[in-house]
Amino acid sequence: MKSKIIKLIGVLALIALSYGAYLWFMPHQNVQGTKAFKTIDATVLVNEFLADKTAANEMYLDTEGESKVLIITGTIADISKDQLNQKVILLKNTSEKMGVSCTFTVDTNSQVDQLEVGNTVKIKGVIRSGAEYDEDLDLTENVIVEKSAIVE
Amino acid sequence: MKNLILTIAIALISFTSFSQDKLSTTSGHIKFFSSTPAEDIEANNYKVTSILKPTEGTLVFSVPMQSFEFEKALMQKHYNSKKFLDTKQFPKGKFKGAITNLSAIDFATDGTYEAAVSGTLTIHGVAKEITEKIKLTVVNGAVTGNTEFDIILADYGVVFTKGKPSENIAKTIKITASLNYTKE
Repeated sequence: MKSKIIKLIGVLALIALSYGAYLWFMPHQNVQGTKAFKTIDATVLVNEFLADKTAANEMYLDTEGESKVLIITGTIADISKDQLNQKVILLKNTSEKMGVSCTFTVDTNSQVDQLEVGNTVKIKGVIRSGAEYDEDLDLTENVIVEKSAIVE
Repeated sequence: MKNLILTIAIALISFTSFSQDKLSTTSGHIKFFSSTPAEDIEANNYKVTSILKPTEGTLVFSVPMQSFEFEKALMQKHYNSKKFLDTKQFPKGKFKGAITNLSAIDFATDGTYEAAVSGTLTIHGVAKEITEKIKLTVVNGAVTGNTEFDIILADYGVVFTKGKPSENIAKTIKITASLNYTKE
């Protein structure tokens, strides 16, 4: 009886340790390994946020930050780099104020090298926040997408 | 007389174009740092949008809260959750304010200036008036801004009274920001 109790405690301790290790070493969201929630045009995505911010946040954002993975189609309006040297592609039509800002990673930066302003592309990434326009402050905010990669 | 009219016209055109100037960035960097005896926690965000209007002194920041990245995935999940910053309901942190010592800053001359800034910082749906300093550096018309200040989490409705978060997360968080503005 005593040895059974000791074995049971041992098994429970092992389970607790394994669970602790899983939490500690839990990997970050694998954006490129996740099936896309939908394929959407950059202008349509921007307009969804401008039309109803609350509904769009509800649809695309996750309570623990692992928000929806999207494939966005659009025309390249600008190519730049952020302070971490990650390449950033802005998908936007010339007549529009806001677009979708897609940030690449160290691993996917090189995919941007062959691209130019005016090219039409498909980009897969995770959405972080929506578009917004504050007329009083003249503040325009793009949809933010990160961990991006080009979809062939 | 002709020269006088010409001079006034040029001055008016210059004033008009300068008064319309707007500096902006969509790739500002904000870091927060928390230190307790249990552990240090750091998160970085490279997606800050900001505008600076030199003639009015208007300064605005918008921070996509889900763009903060942590070393540990579990920490990142906790930070985004309803118990902490609830970033689904409050996806952006914002500062709307103005430089209060605008006369001490010459955006047309290269140099480093200390700007006093006052305004409203809204995080987690809670707005609070703050006054901080930001170092502005002007080089060939390009402006960079750097600032460092502390915020008290409880001021923004983020309170832990028990459990691991109350031991591992500091009550006061250090915020560091770096902005590279360009003319729109």
